[in-house]
Amino acid sequence: MIKMALEIIVMIKQVPDSSEVVIDPVTFTLNRGAARNVINPADENAVEQALKIKDANNDTHITVITMGPPFAESALLDCMAKGVDRGILVTDRAFAGADTYPTGLTLAATITKIGKFDIIFAGEESTDSSTGHVGPGVAEFLGIEQASYTSNSWVEDGKVFAERQLEDGVETVKMEPPCLITVLTNSNIPRNATLRMKIDAMKRGIETWTLADINLKPEWVGLKGSPTIVKSMKSIQEKKRAGKKFTPDQMDEFVDELISKGILKFGGD
Amino acid sequence: MSEFDVIVVGAGPAGASAAIRLASNKVNVLLVDRADPPGSKNVSGGVLWGDSLSQVIPDWEKSNMLERYVEAKGVTFLTKDSKISIDFRSKKFGEYKSGYTVLRTKFDAWLAKKAKDAGAMVVSGVTVDKLAMKDGKVIGVEQSGETITSDSVILAEGANSRVAYDSGIKKKPEDQKIALGVKEVIKLPEKTITERFGLTSPKMGFASEYVLGFLDGGVKAGGFLYTNRESISIGAVISMGDLRKNNQTYSFNVIEQFKDHPFIAPLIQDGRVEEYSAHLVPEGGMSVDSVYGNGYMIAGDTAGLTFSNGLVLQGMNYAVVSGILAADSFMERKSKGGDMNFENYQKNLENTFVLRDMNNFRGLDQVTWSESIHSTIPAIAEDAMLNIFSENGNPKKHLSQIVISSALKQKDKRKDLAVDLYRMLRRM
Repeated sequence: MIKMALEIIVMIKQVPDSSEVVIDPVTFTLNRGAARNVINPADENAVEQALKIKDANNDTHITVITMGPPFAESALLDCMAKGVDRGILVTDRAFAGADTYPTGLTLAATITKIGKFDIIFAGEESTDSSTGHVGPGVAEFLGIEQASYTSNSWVEDGKVFAERQLEDGVETVKMEPPCLITVLTNSNIPRNATLRMKIDAMKRGIETWTLADINLKPEWVGLKGSPTIVKSMKSIQEKKRAGKKFTPDQMDEFVDELISKGILKFGGD
Repeated sequence: MSEFDVIVVGAGPAGASAAIRLASNKVNVLLVDRADPPGSKNVSGGVLWGDSLSQVIPDWEKSNMLERYVEAKGVTFLTKDSKISIDFRSKKFGEYKSGYTVLRTKFDAWLAKKAKDAGAMVVSGVTVDKLAMKDGKVIGVEQSGETITSDSVILAEGANSRVAYDSGIKKKPEDQKIALGVKEVIKLPEKTITERFGLTSPKMGFASEYVLGFLDGGVKAGGFLYTNRESISIGAVISMGDLRKNNQTYSFNVIEQFKDHPFIAPLIQDGRVEEYSAHLVPEGGMSVDSVYGNGYMIAGDTAGLTFSNGLVLQGMNYAVVSGILAADSFMERKSKGGDMNFENYQKNLENTFVLRDMNNFRGLDQVTWSESIHSTIPAIAEDAMLNIFSENGNPKKHLSQIVISSALKQKDKRKDLAVDLYRMLRRM
């Protein structure tokens, strides 16, 4: 068996906690402001998958990267506290308004700048947009092999293996590094960081890169670089429903009411 | 050589104030909170009284984390059918400091951010297990079997003091030393709140304490209602003894009965419950034998530094002051190169209103939870008011006669009432 030094890169995104996103009762738009920011759940699984490979292959170095606003630092620090070696935040006003195309391009350029890598991990999709574009997009920009919908992956004799959860079964693929793997939500249980690890992560800190560091033109990134144009958006108006309360001893009236409204029907003879 | 000068456990008003004070003075401090973001598990009714915070954040009143300034303070007795209240409003609440309503999740995260900006290391989402001890001295904290060392620890973990219990420096409180607080945040438009409570501007707020003398099964509970900018904080503080004695008492029933009261329901009408929370409330003053030991100090709710006399409920201001004093006491010791046994913290607390209030009002909880306050007095007042404010065709009596005759109807309670009144006069 050949043991090799592995370079792993994990791409993560900070998203509003979906359990806390509320719909504004007036405008019916998502109020993200009220929700706290968390690491996209599938990305947590991607980080855990990378850490599992590191557990099995001592000489592994993991870098986690994200494109986002400055406060995404906390997401990177959380990953570093769990055992990731390096965190890079790529942040620039020019990136604002990016759809999945320039996002993939920006991340691919960041990875190119990092240099050598064997495996890139990403979550299957993000909870706030659910496109699943970015991981495969990065693989295409970099011209490398990819495996999507994976629930497990490992390295054996210099080859990368991944189990893909498909509709009709599990497909195990073997790839030559460098390659990209997208990881399904809930495919593993992310580990917790201890206080010691959190302190150490903070002491190490993250690196912050801007557009100038990744050799892309401003017109290629952000809103300018985005081919998607949202033409219009409609919110669905909630139907007003009349409520009526029945106490347990009014069950007869309750049933009568249901019948009179045609909600309840007697079948058979 | 320790890794940190000070580790502060708990990012509430006490812990964050301590960390801000220390970090601003170039002390190497770690602030740890179990919630992520820090402080997001913290709960209180929601009025920060006084101006203590200005000692660490001079321009705190400019912060947009504050909800409304209390210009109207109420004290209210509720019986089943009636409401008897003092509704004190004053323009003089400019020169006399009242308080600001706050929503703690937001407010405490802001405080923790201030600590971080001042230079503290803020770690959230991890629960400290216990104090690390060596040769009878606290040398840091333990978490997941690892020790993080520090010259001293400031314990500000709140009323449910797990670290203090597990480290053997605080006994679990008896029932009469603790109450259960339950609270809902009810969303309403800013304008509706300003109008409903007759406030002079959207920046001004109403805060009232309630004696809930009408609850099923005679459960003893106090209520509170505070106005935030676009929501109302409403809740109840229930005697732990009553909860345990009567297993038909549920905290959610108490808050529902309060919300359904004929003179409370209109205030929260059409509001949407946005948040539900529960928390332990320390009662009856100091809850530890000592606020300090070798290598540690205890601040805020953990030390039982709260005040309630039925008219006001205060805790955050005591927390802020005790946190700041703990920080100062550390720096005092450090500068003198002395040991880390903080009797100076005790002395510093004694020199402020914090411990003076605790000592002056010791035993007050007997009054605030008494039968007299919760049922006898409201019943007398209701009866008297009905006589004064109604017209039944009979000749009118003198006020004193009315009160006495109303009081006489509560015959079997007379002796208790006399005892409680005596206690009240002595302690208030």
